[in-house]
Amino acid sequence: MDVAFWAPVMAGGLIAGASSGLLGVFIVGMRIPFLGVCVAHAALAGAVFGSLCGLEGRALLLPALAGAMLAALLLGLLNPERARLDDNVMMGFLFSATMGLAFLGIGLFGVMGRSDNDVRSLLWGNLNFCRWADVRLMLAASLALLGFVLLLHKEMRAIMFSRQVAAAAGIHATAVWTAFLVLAAGVLTVNFQTVGGLMIYSLVVNPAAAAFQLVRGCGRAMVLAMILGGLSGLGGFLVSAVTDLPSGAVIVLVSSALVAGAAARSRIFARSGRNERKRTPGPGERVQEEES
Amino acid sequence: MNSMAIEIERLSVTAGRKRILEVDALTVGSGELLAVMGPNGAGKSTLLRACLGMQPGASGRVRLFGQDLGRLGSPALTRLRRSVGYVPQALPVHGEMPLTVREVVSIGRVGRAGLFRPLSRADWLTVDDWMERLGIAMLAGSAFHELSGGEQRKTVLAGAMVQEPRLLLLDEPTANLDLGWRERIVETVRLLHAQNRLAVVLVCHELEALPPSCARVALLDHGQVIGDGPPEEALTDQQVAALYGPGLTAVHQGGRHAVIPRGGRT
Repeated sequence: MDVAFWAPVMAGGLIAGASSGLLGVFIVGMRIPFLGVCVAHAALAGAVFGSLCGLEGRALLLPALAGAMLAALLLGLLNPERARLDDNVMMGFLFSATMGLAFLGIGLFGVMGRSDNDVRSLLWGNLNFCRWADVRLMLAASLALLGFVLLLHKEMRAIMFSRQVAAAAGIHATAVWTAFLVLAAGVLTVNFQTVGGLMIYSLVVNPAAAAFQLVRGCGRAMVLAMILGGLSGLGGFLVSAVTDLPSGAVIVLVSSALVAGAAARSRIFARSGRNERKRTPGPGERVQEEES
Repeated sequence: MNSMAIEIERLSVTAGRKRILEVDALTVGSGELLAVMGPNGAGKSTLLRACLGMQPGASGRVRLFGQDLGRLGSPALTRLRRSVGYVPQALPVHGEMPLTVREVVSIGRVGRAGLFRPLSRADWLTVDDWMERLGIAMLAGSAFHELSGGEQRKTVLAGAMVQEPRLLLLDEPTANLDLGWRERIVETVRLLHAQNRLAVVLVCHELEALPPSCARVALLDHGQVIGDGPPEEALTDQQVAALYGPGLTAVHQGGRHAVIPRGGRT
Protein backbone atom coordinates (compact mmCIF):
# COMPACT_ATOMS: atom_id res chain seq x y z
CA MET A 1 0.00 0.00 0.00
CA ASP A 2 1.25 3.49 -0.89
CA VAL A 3 1.08 5.02 2.60
CA ALA A 4 1.81 8.55 1.41
CA PHE A 5 -1.18 8.37 -0.91
CA TRP A 6 -3.55 6.57 1.42
CA ALA A 7 -2.70 8.34 4.70
CA PRO A 8 -4.95 11.37 4.02
CA VAL A 9 -7.71 9.01 2.88
CA MET A 10 -7.53 7.11 6.17
CA ALA A 11 -7.33 10.31 8.20
CA GLY A 12 -10.33 11.66 6.27
CA GLY A 13 -12.32 8.50 6.95
CA LEU A 14 -11.44 8.64 10.64
CA ILE A 15 -12.36 12.32 11.04
CA ALA A 16 -15.53 12.07 8.94
CA GLY A 17 -16.62 9.02 10.95
CA ALA A 18 -15.91 10.55 14.34
CA SER A 19 -17.51 13.94 13.58
CA SER A 20 -20.54 12.36 11.92
CA GLY A 21 -20.91 10.01 14.89
CA LEU A 22 -20.90 12.97 17.28
CA LEU A 23 -23.48 14.82 15.16
CA GLY A 24 -25.53 11.65 14.98
CA VAL A 25 -26.07 11.53 18.76
CA PHE A 26 -28.13 14.72 18.50
CA ILE A 27 -29.58 14.14 15.04
CA VAL A 28 -30.78 10.62 15.87
CA GLY A 29 -31.58 11.59 19.48
CA MET A 30 -33.86 14.35 18.21
CA ARG A 31 -35.24 12.11 15.46
CA ILE A 32 -34.22 14.40 12.61
CA PRO A 33 -32.08 12.15 10.36
CA PHE A 34 -33.71 13.91 7.40
CA LEU A 35 -31.49 16.90 8.29
CA GLY A 36 -28.62 15.32 6.33
CA VAL A 37 -30.66 15.02 3.13
CA CYS A 38 -32.11 18.50 3.55
CA VAL A 39 -28.68 20.07 4.11
CA ALA A 40 -27.16 18.14 1.19
CA HIS A 41 -29.69 19.51 -1.28
CA ALA A 42 -29.48 23.03 0.11
CA ALA A 43 -25.68 22.81 -0.35
CA LEU A 44 -26.19 21.46 -3.86
CA ALA A 45 -28.49 24.39 -4.71
CA GLY A 46 -25.86 26.82 -3.33
CA ALA A 47 -23.09 25.16 -5.33
CA VAL A 48 -25.17 25.14 -8.53
CA PHE A 49 -25.89 28.84 -8.35
CA GLY A 50 -22.29 29.54 -7.33
CA SER A 51 -21.16 27.71 -10.42
CA LEU A 52 -23.65 29.58 -12.59
CA CYS A 53 -22.14 32.80 -11.21
CA GLY A 54 -18.72 31.70 -12.46
CA LEU A 55 -17.15 29.99 -9.42
CA GLU A 56 -15.38 26.70 -9.99
CA GLY A 57 -13.31 23.99 -8.27
CA ARG A 58 -12.79 24.29 -4.52
CA ALA A 59 -14.30 27.79 -4.51
CA LEU A 60 -17.71 26.13 -4.96
CA LEU A 61 -17.53 25.00 -1.34
CA LEU A 62 -18.35 28.57 -0.28
CA PRO A 63 -21.79 28.86 -1.95
CA ALA A 64 -22.46 25.24 -0.93
CA LEU A 65 -21.77 26.15 2.71
CA ALA A 66 -23.88 29.29 2.34
CA GLY A 67 -26.83 27.31 0.94
CA ALA A 68 -26.60 24.64 3.65
CA MET A 69 -26.21 27.14 6.48
CA LEU A 70 -29.05 29.33 5.22
CA ALA A 71 -31.36 26.30 5.19
CA ALA A 72 -30.20 25.41 8.72
CA LEU A 73 -30.79 29.00 9.87
CA LEU A 74 -34.34 28.90 8.53
CA LEU A 75 -34.99 25.59 10.26
CA GLY A 76 -33.66 26.88 13.56
CA LEU A 77 -35.52 30.16 13.58
CA LEU A 78 -38.88 28.81 12.42
CA ASN A 79 -41.05 28.17 15.45
CA PRO A 80 -42.74 24.76 14.90
CA GLU A 81 -45.71 25.85 17.03
CA ARG A 82 -46.18 29.08 15.13
CA ALA A 83 -45.69 27.37 11.78
CA ARG A 84 -47.78 24.42 13.00
CA LEU A 85 -45.35 22.08 11.29
CA ASP A 86 -43.20 19.33 12.69
CA ASP A 87 -39.41 19.70 12.24
CA ASN A 88 -39.31 16.79 9.80
CA VAL A 89 -42.14 18.26 7.74
CA MET A 90 -40.30 21.60 7.59
CA MET A 91 -37.16 19.74 6.51
CA GLY A 92 -39.20 17.95 3.86
CA PHE A 93 -40.45 21.31 2.60
CA LEU A 94 -36.94 22.80 2.54
CA PHE A 95 -35.56 19.64 0.92
CA SER A 96 -38.08 19.80 -1.91
CA ALA A 97 -37.66 23.56 -2.37
CA THR A 98 -33.84 23.39 -2.48
CA MET A 99 -33.91 20.29 -4.66
CA GLY A 100 -36.18 22.16 -7.09
CA LEU A 101 -33.77 25.10 -7.10
CA ALA A 102 -30.77 22.80 -7.63
CA PHE A 103 -32.41 20.97 -10.54
CA LEU A 104 -33.51 24.27 -12.05
CA GLY A 105 -29.89 25.41 -11.91
CA ILE A 106 -28.62 22.09 -13.33
CA GLY A 107 -31.13 22.51 -16.16
CA LEU A 108 -29.65 25.91 -16.87
CA PHE A 109 -26.20 24.29 -17.28
CA GLY A 110 -27.65 22.34 -20.24
CA VAL A 111 -29.28 25.46 -21.68
CA MET A 112 -25.96 27.30 -21.41
CA GLY A 113 -24.05 24.33 -22.83
CA ARG A 114 -21.86 23.95 -19.74
CA SER A 115 -20.79 20.92 -17.70
CA ASP A 116 -22.12 20.38 -14.16
CA ASN A 117 -19.37 17.91 -13.16
CA ASP A 118 -17.79 20.35 -10.66
CA VAL A 119 -21.06 20.69 -8.79
CA ARG A 120 -21.83 16.98 -8.74
CA SER A 121 -18.36 16.03 -7.50
CA LEU A 122 -18.63 18.62 -4.73
CA LEU A 123 -21.53 16.87 -3.11
CA TRP A 124 -20.94 13.28 -4.08
CA GLY A 125 -17.22 13.25 -3.40
CA ASN A 126 -15.06 10.14 -3.21
CA LEU A 127 -12.97 9.39 -0.14
CA ASN A 128 -10.27 7.87 -2.35
CA PHE A 129 -9.50 11.33 -3.71
CA CYS A 130 -9.21 12.91 -0.24
CA ARG A 131 -6.02 14.98 0.17
CA TRP A 132 -4.40 16.67 3.18
CA ALA A 133 -6.08 20.01 2.36
CA ASP A 134 -9.47 18.26 2.62
CA VAL A 135 -8.39 16.59 5.87
CA ARG A 136 -7.42 19.96 7.37
CA LEU A 137 -10.80 21.42 6.43
CA MET A 138 -12.65 18.44 7.89
CA LEU A 139 -10.54 18.61 11.04
CA ALA A 140 -11.29 22.33 11.49
CA ALA A 141 -15.04 21.75 11.06
CA SER A 142 -14.96 18.75 13.41
CA LEU A 143 -13.02 20.63 16.10
CA ALA A 144 -15.51 23.51 15.87
CA LEU A 145 -18.33 21.02 16.38
CA LEU A 146 -16.54 19.32 19.28
CA GLY A 147 -15.87 22.68 20.95
CA PHE A 148 -19.50 23.70 20.55
CA VAL A 149 -20.77 20.45 22.03
CA LEU A 150 -18.31 20.58 24.94
CA LEU A 151 -19.21 24.19 25.76
CA LEU A 152 -22.97 23.77 25.34
CA HIS A 153 -23.31 20.14 26.31
CA LYS A 154 -25.89 20.74 29.03
CA GLU A 155 -28.03 22.98 26.80
CA MET A 156 -27.89 20.46 23.95
CA ARG A 157 -28.91 17.70 26.37
CA ALA A 158 -31.95 19.73 27.41
CA ILE A 159 -32.86 20.54 23.80
CA MET A 160 -32.51 16.87 22.88
CA PHE A 161 -35.04 16.04 25.60
CA SER A 162 -37.54 18.69 24.49
CA ARG A 163 -37.13 22.16 23.03
CA GLN A 164 -40.36 23.18 24.73
CA VAL A 165 -39.19 22.01 28.17
CA ALA A 166 -35.76 23.58 27.59
CA ALA A 167 -37.28 26.96 26.66
CA ALA A 168 -39.69 26.79 29.61
CA ALA A 169 -36.75 26.10 31.95
CA GLY A 170 -35.11 29.39 30.98
CA ILE A 171 -32.61 28.01 28.48
CA HIS A 172 -31.78 29.99 25.31
CA ALA A 173 -33.15 27.05 23.34
CA THR A 174 -33.79 28.74 19.99
CA ALA A 175 -30.36 30.39 19.86
CA VAL A 176 -28.46 27.22 20.84
CA TRP A 177 -30.56 25.02 18.56
CA THR A 178 -30.08 27.34 15.58
CA ALA A 179 -26.33 27.59 16.20
CA PHE A 180 -26.13 23.79 16.36
CA LEU A 181 -28.05 23.39 13.09
CA VAL A 182 -25.82 25.91 11.30
CA LEU A 183 -22.67 24.20 12.59
CA ALA A 184 -24.08 20.77 11.69
CA ALA A 185 -24.81 22.04 8.18
CA GLY A 186 -21.21 23.23 7.89
CA VAL A 187 -19.72 19.94 9.10
CA LEU A 188 -22.02 17.88 6.88
CA THR A 189 -21.24 19.97 3.78
CA VAL A 190 -17.47 19.75 4.34
CA ASN A 191 -17.77 15.99 4.85
CA PHE A 192 -20.07 15.55 1.84
CA GLN A 193 -17.59 17.09 -0.58
CA THR A 194 -14.82 14.78 0.59
CA VAL A 195 -16.54 11.56 1.53
CA GLY A 196 -19.85 11.54 -0.34
CA GLY A 197 -23.45 11.98 0.74
CA LEU A 198 -24.59 8.40 1.16
CA MET A 199 -21.60 7.42 3.25
CA ILE A 200 -22.03 10.45 5.51
CA TYR A 201 -25.70 9.63 5.99
CA SER A 202 -24.76 6.15 7.22
CA LEU A 203 -21.96 7.53 9.41
CA VAL A 204 -24.38 9.98 11.03
CA VAL A 205 -27.13 7.46 11.76
CA ASN A 206 -25.40 4.12 12.39
CA PRO A 207 -22.73 4.87 15.04
CA ALA A 208 -25.23 6.85 17.13
CA ALA A 209 -27.89 4.15 16.77
CA ALA A 210 -25.33 1.51 17.84
CA ALA A 211 -24.14 3.64 20.79
CA PHE A 212 -27.71 4.10 22.03
CA GLN A 213 -28.06 0.31 22.16
CA LEU A 214 -24.92 -0.09 24.24
CA VAL A 215 -24.77 2.77 26.75
CA ARG A 216 -27.02 5.09 28.71
CA GLY A 217 -26.30 8.77 29.15
CA CYS A 218 -25.61 11.52 26.66
CA GLY A 219 -21.89 11.90 27.40
CA ARG A 220 -21.15 8.18 27.08
CA ALA A 221 -23.24 7.97 23.90
CA MET A 222 -21.25 10.87 22.42
CA VAL A 223 -17.88 9.28 23.16
CA LEU A 224 -18.96 5.84 21.95
CA ALA A 225 -20.61 7.20 18.77
CA MET A 226 -17.41 9.09 17.93
CA ILE A 227 -15.34 5.93 18.46
CA LEU A 228 -17.74 3.75 16.45
CA GLY A 229 -17.93 6.37 13.70
CA GLY A 230 -14.15 6.60 13.54
CA LEU A 231 -13.90 2.80 13.53
CA SER A 232 -16.41 2.60 10.69
CA GLY A 233 -14.57 5.21 8.63
CA LEU A 234 -11.06 3.89 9.24
CA GLY A 235 -11.87 0.18 9.69
CA GLY A 236 -14.08 0.11 6.63
CA PHE A 237 -11.32 1.62 4.59
CA LEU A 238 -8.71 -0.86 5.89
CA VAL A 239 -11.01 -3.80 5.14
CA SER A 240 -11.50 -2.46 1.64
CA ALA A 241 -7.72 -2.00 1.19
CA VAL A 242 -7.09 -5.62 2.20
CA THR A 243 -9.96 -7.14 0.23
CA ASP A 244 -9.89 -4.71 -2.71
CA LEU A 245 -13.63 -4.12 -2.32
CA PRO A 246 -15.15 -0.63 -2.93
CA SER A 247 -14.31 1.50 0.14
CA GLY A 248 -17.61 3.42 0.31
CA ALA A 249 -19.71 0.27 0.33
CA VAL A 250 -17.48 -1.40 2.94
CA ILE A 251 -17.60 1.63 5.26
CA VAL A 252 -21.40 1.73 5.06
CA LEU A 253 -21.61 -2.03 5.66
CA VAL A 254 -19.19 -1.89 8.62
CA SER A 255 -21.25 0.85 10.27
CA SER A 256 -24.46 -1.11 9.57
CA ALA A 257 -22.89 -4.24 11.06
CA LEU A 258 -22.08 -2.25 14.21
CA VAL A 259 -25.78 -1.41 14.64
CA ALA A 260 -26.81 -5.03 14.09
CA GLY A 261 -24.15 -6.26 16.53
CA ALA A 262 -25.09 -3.68 19.15
CA ALA A 263 -28.80 -4.50 18.81
CA ALA A 264 -28.09 -8.24 19.16
CA ARG A 265 -25.91 -7.65 22.23
CA SER A 266 -28.55 -5.41 23.76
CA ARG A 267 -31.30 -8.04 23.22
CA ILE A 268 -29.16 -10.85 24.69
CA PHE A 269 -28.34 -8.78 27.78
CA ALA A 270 -31.96 -7.72 28.17
CA ARG A 271 -33.07 -11.35 28.06
CA SER A 272 -30.43 -12.54 30.53
CA GLY A 273 -31.30 -9.56 32.75
CA ARG A 274 -34.95 -10.61 32.76
CA ASN A 275 -34.02 -14.19 33.65
CA GLU A 276 -31.80 -12.92 36.44
CA ARG A 277 -34.64 -10.82 37.85
CA LYS A 278 -36.95 -13.85 37.79
CA ARG A 279 -34.53 -15.68 40.10
CA THR A 280 -33.78 -12.82 42.48
CA PRO A 281 -36.25 -9.98 42.76
CA GLY A 282 -34.53 -6.55 42.93
CA PRO A 283 -35.06 -4.04 45.71
CA GLY A 284 -37.63 -2.08 43.69
CA GLU A 285 -39.70 -5.20 43.16
CA ARG A 286 -39.51 -6.10 46.84
CA VAL A 287 -40.84 -2.68 47.76
CA GLN A 288 -43.71 -3.05 45.30
CA GLU A 289 -44.54 -6.50 46.68
CA GLU A 290 -44.51 -5.17 50.24
CA GLU A 291 -46.68 -2.23 49.26
CA SER A 292 -49.19 -4.45 47.50
CA MET B 1 -42.07 41.63 46.44
CA ASN B 2 -45.28 41.26 44.44
CA SER B 3 -47.80 39.07 46.28
CA MET B 4 -49.25 37.84 43.01
CA ALA B 5 -47.55 35.05 41.11
CA ILE B 6 -49.77 35.45 38.04
CA GLU B 7 -52.02 38.33 36.96
CA ILE B 8 -53.92 37.93 33.73
CA GLU B 9 -55.93 40.74 32.13
CA ARG B 10 -57.91 40.43 28.89
CA LEU B 11 -55.84 37.52 27.64
CA SER B 12 -56.91 36.36 24.22
CA VAL B 13 -55.38 33.58 22.14
CA THR B 14 -56.29 32.98 18.53
CA ALA B 15 -55.32 30.15 16.22
CA GLY B 16 -55.96 31.26 12.66
CA ARG B 17 -59.37 32.91 12.80
CA LYS B 18 -60.53 30.89 15.79
CA ARG B 19 -60.36 32.34 19.28
CA ILE B 20 -59.28 29.49 21.56
CA LEU B 21 -58.88 31.38 24.84
CA GLU B 22 -60.42 34.54 26.25
CA VAL B 23 -59.78 35.28 29.91
CA ASP B 24 -60.84 38.68 31.24
CA ALA B 25 -59.12 38.40 34.59
CA LEU B 26 -57.45 35.66 36.58
CA THR B 27 -54.92 35.87 39.38
CA VAL B 28 -52.88 33.36 41.33
CA GLY B 29 -51.39 34.49 44.62
CA SER B 30 -47.92 33.57 45.82
CA GLY B 31 -48.20 30.27 47.66
CA GLU B 32 -51.68 29.59 46.29
CA LEU B 33 -52.68 26.33 44.61
CA LEU B 34 -55.12 26.93 41.78
CA ALA B 35 -56.62 24.05 39.86
CA VAL B 36 -57.77 24.81 36.32
CA MET B 37 -60.37 22.33 35.22
CA GLY B 38 -62.36 21.79 32.10
CA PRO B 39 -63.04 19.31 29.33
CA ASN B 40 -60.61 18.47 26.54
CA GLY B 41 -60.04 21.44 24.25
CA ALA B 42 -61.18 23.99 26.84
CA GLY B 43 -57.91 25.93 26.57
CA LYS B 44 -56.20 24.75 29.76
CA SER B 45 -52.81 23.92 28.26
CA THR B 46 -52.98 27.09 26.14
CA LEU B 47 -53.46 29.09 29.35
CA LEU B 48 -50.32 27.55 30.88
CA ARG B 49 -48.22 28.23 27.77
CA ALA B 50 -49.51 31.81 27.73
CA CYS B 51 -48.34 32.16 31.35
CA LEU B 52 -44.84 31.23 30.13
CA GLY B 53 -45.00 33.62 27.18
CA MET B 54 -44.70 30.62 24.86
CA GLN B 55 -48.12 30.66 23.22
CA PRO B 56 -48.25 31.99 19.65
CA GLY B 57 -51.23 34.20 18.88
CA ALA B 58 -51.61 35.51 22.45
CA SER B 59 -52.56 39.11 23.19
CA GLY B 60 -53.53 40.93 26.39
CA ARG B 61 -51.54 41.18 29.58
CA VAL B 62 -49.89 38.40 31.57
CA ARG B 63 -47.76 39.42 34.55
CA LEU B 64 -45.53 36.96 36.39
CA PHE B 65 -44.39 38.23 39.80
CA GLY B 66 -45.31 41.74 38.65
CA GLN B 67 -43.39 41.59 35.37
CA ASP B 68 -45.42 42.07 32.20
CA LEU B 69 -44.38 39.32 29.77
CA GLY B 70 -45.32 41.47 26.77
CA ARG B 71 -42.83 44.15 27.78
CA LEU B 72 -39.92 41.81 28.36
CA GLY B 73 -37.29 41.19 25.72
CA SER B 74 -36.28 37.64 24.92
CA PRO B 75 -33.29 37.50 27.36
CA ALA B 76 -35.36 38.91 30.25
CA LEU B 77 -38.23 36.53 29.51
CA THR B 78 -35.79 33.61 29.44
CA ARG B 79 -34.42 34.69 32.84
CA LEU B 80 -37.92 35.05 34.29
CA ARG B 81 -38.84 31.53 33.16
CA ARG B 82 -36.09 30.19 35.42
CA SER B 83 -38.35 30.91 38.38
CA VAL B 84 -41.19 28.88 36.86
CA GLY B 85 -41.24 25.09 36.89
CA TYR B 86 -43.25 23.59 34.05
CA VAL B 87 -44.38 20.01 33.53
CA PRO B 88 -45.97 19.58 30.09
CA GLN B 89 -48.79 17.20 29.35
CA ALA B 90 -46.98 15.29 26.60
CA LEU B 91 -43.58 13.94 27.55
CA PRO B 92 -41.03 13.16 24.86
CA VAL B 93 -40.58 9.41 25.08
CA HIS B 94 -38.79 7.47 22.38
CA GLY B 95 -36.13 4.82 22.39
CA GLU B 96 -33.63 6.86 20.38
CA MET B 97 -33.01 9.25 23.27
CA PRO B 98 -30.03 8.20 25.39
CA LEU B 99 -30.74 10.50 28.36
CA THR B 100 -30.70 9.08 31.87
CA VAL B 101 -33.12 10.09 34.61
CA ARG B 102 -30.40 12.12 36.34
CA GLU B 103 -29.64 13.98 33.12
CA VAL B 104 -33.32 14.78 32.57
CA VAL B 105 -33.71 16.07 36.13
CA SER B 106 -30.59 18.22 35.71
CA ILE B 107 -32.28 20.17 32.87
CA GLY B 108 -33.88 22.31 35.56
CA ARG B 109 -30.44 23.63 36.63
CA VAL B 110 -29.17 24.40 33.12
CA GLY B 111 -30.76 27.83 32.76
CA ARG B 112 -29.58 28.90 36.21
CA ALA B 113 -26.00 27.80 35.54
CA GLY B 114 -25.78 30.03 32.46
CA LEU B 115 -24.29 29.52 29.01
CA PHE B 116 -20.80 28.00 28.62
CA ARG B 117 -20.64 26.96 32.31
CA PRO B 118 -20.90 23.32 33.34
CA LEU B 119 -23.22 22.37 36.16
CA SER B 120 -21.46 22.82 39.48
CA ARG B 121 -21.14 20.23 42.24
CA ALA B 122 -23.83 22.15 44.12
CA ASP B 123 -26.14 21.87 41.09
CA TRP B 124 -25.68 18.10 40.97
CA LEU B 125 -26.25 17.86 44.73
CA THR B 126 -29.56 19.69 44.24
CA VAL B 127 -30.44 17.26 41.44
CA ASP B 128 -29.62 14.25 43.64
CA ASP B 129 -31.47 15.75 46.58
CA TRP B 130 -34.71 16.19 44.60
CA MET B 131 -34.46 12.71 43.10
CA GLU B 132 -34.13 11.40 46.66
CA ARG B 133 -37.08 13.47 47.87
CA LEU B 134 -39.34 12.28 45.05
CA GLY B 135 -38.26 8.66 45.46
CA ILE B 136 -36.57 8.24 42.09
CA ALA B 137 -32.93 8.19 43.26
CA MET B 138 -32.64 4.46 42.52
CA LEU B 139 -33.57 5.22 38.88
CA ALA B 140 -30.80 7.81 38.42
CA GLY B 141 -28.83 5.81 35.85
CA SER B 142 -31.86 4.37 34.04
CA ALA B 143 -32.78 5.56 30.59
CA PHE B 144 -35.76 7.94 30.73
CA HIS B 145 -37.62 6.07 27.99
CA GLU B 146 -37.44 2.81 29.97
CA LEU B 147 -39.45 4.20 32.91
CA SER B 148 -43.15 3.75 33.55
CA GLY B 149 -45.47 6.71 32.86
CA GLY B 150 -45.66 7.58 36.57
CA GLU B 151 -41.88 7.46 37.02
CA GLN B 152 -41.47 9.70 33.97
CA ARG B 153 -43.90 12.24 35.46
CA LYS B 154 -41.97 12.23 38.73
CA THR B 155 -38.70 12.68 36.83
CA VAL B 156 -39.97 15.74 34.96
CA LEU B 157 -41.53 17.04 38.18
CA ALA B 158 -38.14 16.68 39.90
CA GLY B 159 -36.60 18.57 36.95
CA ALA B 160 -39.06 21.40 37.53
CA MET B 161 -38.31 21.44 41.27
CA VAL B 162 -34.52 21.62 40.90
CA GLN B 163 -35.12 25.02 39.30
CA GLU B 164 -36.16 26.14 42.81
CA PRO B 165 -39.23 27.73 41.26
CA ARG B 166 -41.59 30.25 42.82
CA LEU B 167 -44.36 29.03 40.54
CA LEU B 168 -45.11 25.51 39.36
CA LEU B 169 -47.22 24.94 36.25
CA LEU B 170 -48.47 21.35 35.97
CA ASP B 171 -50.28 20.29 32.83
CA GLU B 172 -52.33 17.19 33.58
CA PRO B 173 -49.62 15.46 35.63
CA THR B 174 -51.89 12.46 36.23
CA ALA B 175 -52.91 11.93 32.60
CA ASN B 176 -52.82 8.28 31.49
CA LEU B 177 -51.70 7.02 34.91
CA ASP B 178 -53.27 4.15 36.78
CA LEU B 179 -55.03 4.74 40.10
CA GLY B 180 -51.98 3.99 42.23
CA TRP B 181 -49.67 6.33 40.34
CA ARG B 182 -52.34 9.02 40.18
CA GLU B 183 -52.59 9.01 43.97
CA ARG B 184 -48.79 9.10 44.33
CA ILE B 185 -48.59 12.13 42.04
CA VAL B 186 -51.48 13.88 43.83
CA GLU B 187 -49.70 13.32 47.16
CA THR B 188 -46.41 14.57 45.68
CA VAL B 189 -48.09 17.76 44.44
CA ARG B 190 -49.67 18.26 47.86
CA LEU B 191 -46.33 17.87 49.62
CA LEU B 192 -44.48 20.12 47.17
CA HIS B 193 -47.04 22.87 47.66
CA ALA B 194 -47.16 22.50 51.42
CA GLN B 195 -43.41 22.26 52.02
CA ASN B 196 -42.12 24.78 49.53
CA ARG B 197 -44.71 27.59 49.76
CA LEU B 198 -44.74 27.98 46.01
CA ALA B 199 -47.66 28.96 43.82
CA VAL B 200 -49.03 26.03 41.84
CA VAL B 201 -51.33 26.02 38.81
CA LEU B 202 -52.59 22.49 38.32
CA VAL B 203 -54.37 21.81 35.06
CA CYS B 204 -56.53 18.69 35.03
CA HIS B 205 -59.87 17.42 33.92
CA GLU B 206 -60.42 14.84 36.63
CA LEU B 207 -61.70 15.95 40.04
CA GLU B 208 -59.81 13.03 41.57
CA ALA B 209 -56.54 14.72 40.63
CA LEU B 210 -57.16 17.62 43.01
CA PRO B 211 -55.02 17.43 46.17
CA PRO B 212 -56.77 18.09 49.51
CA SER B 213 -54.89 21.38 49.87
CA CYS B 214 -56.51 22.79 46.74
CA ALA B 215 -58.74 25.62 47.97
CA ARG B 216 -59.61 27.16 44.60
CA VAL B 217 -60.73 25.87 41.23
CA ALA B 218 -61.14 27.84 38.00
CA LEU B 219 -63.42 26.22 35.47
CA LEU B 220 -62.60 26.69 31.84
CA ASP B 221 -64.96 25.90 28.99
CA HIS B 222 -64.56 26.86 25.34
CA GLY B 223 -61.69 29.13 26.31
CA GLN B 224 -63.62 31.11 28.93
CA VAL B 225 -63.61 31.03 32.72
CA ILE B 226 -67.13 29.97 33.72
CA GLY B 227 -66.50 29.48 37.43
CA ASP B 228 -63.92 30.31 40.09
CA GLY B 229 -64.04 29.40 43.78
CA PRO B 230 -63.54 26.66 46.37
CA PRO B 231 -63.97 23.17 44.86
CA GLU B 232 -67.19 22.45 46.79
CA GLU B 233 -68.76 25.68 45.48
CA ALA B 234 -67.34 25.73 41.98
CA LEU B 235 -67.87 22.06 41.22
CA THR B 236 -71.61 21.79 41.67
CA ASP B 237 -73.66 19.22 39.80
CA GLN B 238 -74.82 21.99 37.44
CA GLN B 239 -71.27 23.07 36.62
CA VAL B 240 -70.10 19.48 36.18
CA ALA B 241 -73.03 18.93 33.81
CA ALA B 242 -72.15 22.13 31.94
CA LEU B 243 -68.54 20.98 31.56
CA TYR B 244 -68.81 17.26 31.01
CA GLY B 245 -72.45 16.59 30.14
CA PRO B 246 -75.52 15.38 32.06
CA GLY B 247 -75.83 12.29 34.22
CA LEU B 248 -72.84 13.05 36.46
CA THR B 249 -72.66 14.18 40.02
CA ALA B 250 -69.77 15.64 42.03
CA VAL B 251 -68.85 14.10 45.36
CA HIS B 252 -66.79 16.04 47.92
CA GLN B 253 -65.44 14.19 50.93
CA GLY B 254 -62.53 14.80 53.27
CA GLY B 255 -60.96 17.38 51.00
CA ARG B 256 -61.02 15.04 48.00
CA HIS B 257 -63.36 15.25 45.06
CA ALA B 258 -64.74 12.86 42.48
CA VAL B 259 -67.31 12.62 39.76
CA ILE B 260 -69.52 9.57 39.53
CA PRO B 261 -72.35 8.65 37.17
CA ARG B 262 -75.63 9.65 38.83
CA GLY B 263 -77.13 6.16 38.64
CA GLY B 264 -74.13 4.68 40.43
CA ARG B 265 -74.49 6.77 43.63
CA THR B 266 -75.28 4.76 46.75
